[in-house]
Amino acid sequence: MKRLSIALVVVLLVACAASAQHIRIGGFGGNDTVIVEEMIELFVRPALEGTGITVQYEPISDDFQRYIVNALSAGTAPDLFYMDIFWAGSLIRSGVVEPLDEYFAKSEVLKPEYFIPSLVEAFTYEGKIYGVPKDFNTLAVFYNKDLFDYAGVEYPSNDDTWDTFYAKLEKVAAIDPNIYGLALQPEFARFGALAYAAGFTPFNADGKTDLFDPAFVEAFKWYTGMAETGVGVMPQDISQGWGGGALASEQVAVALEGAWMVGAIKGDAPNMQYGTALMPKHPQTGQRGNLIFTVAWGMNAASPNKEAAFKVMEILTSEEVQQWVLERGLAIPSRQALADNPYFQQDHAEAQANYTVFLGASDGNVLPFHFGEYGGEWMDPINQALSAVMSKQATVEEALREAQAQLDALMGR
Amino acid sequence: MRRASSKVGEKLAPYVLLAPFLFTLIVFFGYAFVRVVYFSFTTYDLFSKPEWVGLKNYVNIFRDLDFTRAMKNSLTFMVVVTTAQTIIALLLALLLNQKVRGIRFFRAAYYMPSVASSVVVTLIFIWFFQRRGVLNFVITKFKEYQAIILLFLFAAAAIHIVLVVWEKLRRRPVSVFEPSFMFLGVLIGFIVAFGAVRFGFLVPREVPPVDIIWFNTTKTWPDFLGSLAFPIPLGAIMLFNIWTTAPTFMLLYLAGLQDIPRELYEAAAVDGAEGWHIILHIIAPQLKPITFLVVTMGLIGTLQMFDQVAILGSQAPRSSVITLAYYIYSNLFPSSAVPRVGMASAAAMFLALLTFIIVYAQRKVLGEEGENA
Repeated sequence: MKRLSIALVVVLLVACAASAQHIRIGGFGGNDTVIVEEMIELFVRPALEGTGITVQYEPISDDFQRYIVNALSAGTAPDLFYMDIFWAGSLIRSGVVEPLDEYFAKSEVLKPEYFIPSLVEAFTYEGKIYGVPKDFNTLAVFYNKDLFDYAGVEYPSNDDTWDTFYAKLEKVAAIDPNIYGLALQPEFARFGALAYAAGFTPFNADGKTDLFDPAFVEAFKWYTGMAETGVGVMPQDISQGWGGGALASEQVAVALEGAWMVGAIKGDAPNMQYGTALMPKHPQTGQRGNLIFTVAWGMNAASPNKEAAFKVMEILTSEEVQQWVLERGLAIPSRQALADNPYFQQDHAEAQANYTVFLGASDGNVLPFHFGEYGGEWMDPINQALSAVMSKQATVEEALREAQAQLDALMGR
Repeated sequence: MRRASSKVGEKLAPYVLLAPFLFTLIVFFGYAFVRVVYFSFTTYDLFSKPEWVGLKNYVNIFRDLDFTRAMKNSLTFMVVVTTAQTIIALLLALLLNQKVRGIRFFRAAYYMPSVASSVVVTLIFIWFFQRRGVLNFVITKFKEYQAIILLFLFAAAAIHIVLVVWEKLRRRPVSVFEPSFMFLGVLIGFIVAFGAVRFGFLVPREVPPVDIIWFNTTKTWPDFLGSLAFPIPLGAIMLFNIWTTAPTFMLLYLAGLQDIPRELYEAAAVDGAEGWHIILHIIAPQLKPITFLVVTMGLIGTLQMFDQVAILGSQAPRSSVITLAYYIYSNLFPSSAVPRVGMASAAAMFLALLTFIIVYAQRKVLGEEGENA
């Protein structure tokens, strides 16, 4: 009996000690599980040796946003968690994410200045920084070299304007009725970059959205016009779920995608010769447009071990970890110092694709991929308009009027 | 004394036995229900403290265009799907109640759509209805071979009718659906159609591929119903929902059919009843309790339809497929916005009330008649 109680006490003590310094990290499931587990094994655990801090990754394979909202509300959320720029704002405004400014002030290795400013800006709210960007993505022109060679057309280049880009696509599409130039995903997540290039901003000075802004209409007509002429095609119409799938099917010569395309090509079309270029410039403004997709590490405001959690965050966003992630071709680092990384200068398609995506973040009209308090509901009417026009169910005028009415209703709510 | 205590024990026993179930019911439904009632009178975003706002949420949902759309979609869905699936389930059950060799195989085969997971079936369904999907392909093929198919059907029917009329004229006792004549009709019809194609009298027509857009459209159908017409994507979901749920109800009907005593059929046969008379006067009244069950379950199930809309996601315009259950969900977990728990709770309360009223009305109409009979 006595022995048992001693054993119990010991177990309890160990449990207490562990829980006091136990940092839980929440993130996506799937690929991320392997990456983060390996990262923790290689970098975090060795660095924390002797501090008594233990780390555990908790992958969520379901809808992560829904999980984190529930967990934060119920008080069961991990100490550190992924925050996608798309929905981070709603969490930050709710006050459940810890502002990090004080920690930065005390830290010797983690300062916001080390990161690409537009990324840090995306997680800044009312002057306070709430997340450390862990990586990011932008859109680039991914093209199938073989199709361009076959058509005898020059590859897309960083000097292309919409006009020269269109001329090249047109020639590729002329090879065969079943070959198309551009994959026209009917989504703002792709088309938006072109609208930004033309000078469109999601919210004007009054905080309203005007789809009849000439810049928006021009980009809209240019994009949807390609479906009309057969220069481009909606991925759905060739039984593909997304632009990347259409590119990998080799029926479409170009897709506007991010660095995630590298992995998708490796998986679905490993023998395809591909190249990348920056998004085409708008012929009048001379600007490119782009969207920044980024995920940051956020800290739970209700975490009992904030100091320890920050220490883990320091390691997770350190230069050596980012270098490792980059070299594995997993993500584009968010640290400015890695811009001149030798990895980017390597002479193979993957490294060049990553470099193109990296450059995309700081060239032209680049906006983070989020829409204030409206979130995904803001994009829905535009996506429907794109799709309605490209499937010939509505004219540009009709579709935009309908979308504008829906947006007005959303914003008036 | 002993007797008294055993009596108490006897009275307590059912409650003790029910306790595990009651416990889960109270914790997961009772408590949740009370919370939802409370939240429906507050604004709450899961993070800040709920704030009492009275009936504001209830007023707001009726001002929300999405909510009225959802209500209309849900009600249309309920009426169409419940009616169709009940009729189809009954017909299937009648068909599968025959004594035919290998009937067990057919029973299992017809039940397959209900066994498969709703998510898997919905994914298949998405492919099925794609712009270059199976359905549009079949319609295209049908259009191409329309003339040939019509010729075949016409020839088969003509032969059959001629034979039946011939026999009738000779006053022979022959059924209108005499199987051997039918077989002969089909055979000759096939030969005629085959010959017509073989010798070039008929060729498949050249038609452009059918391009019906099933999901990504805000069009409604049928036009003559005006504002009562349902959106085409919702119609696609209806078709699919009927296909997946009818077999479950067929099983219930099948069980009911096998419970009908043979004597009733025999007595009816002696009285000279056949075909429709048996269905109308023997089967239908005997199956009344089952019909009540099937319709009730159908009503509740269709009013709560959620998964197919959720999986369809952004493939169809939200306004064309949104249902009440999906409206509740999308307010609770709006994409990248703060949860609107108050609105969601008010809508959930409304859905519960609506379900209750409809099922109650249905009981009044169907149930009590059954008790009188």
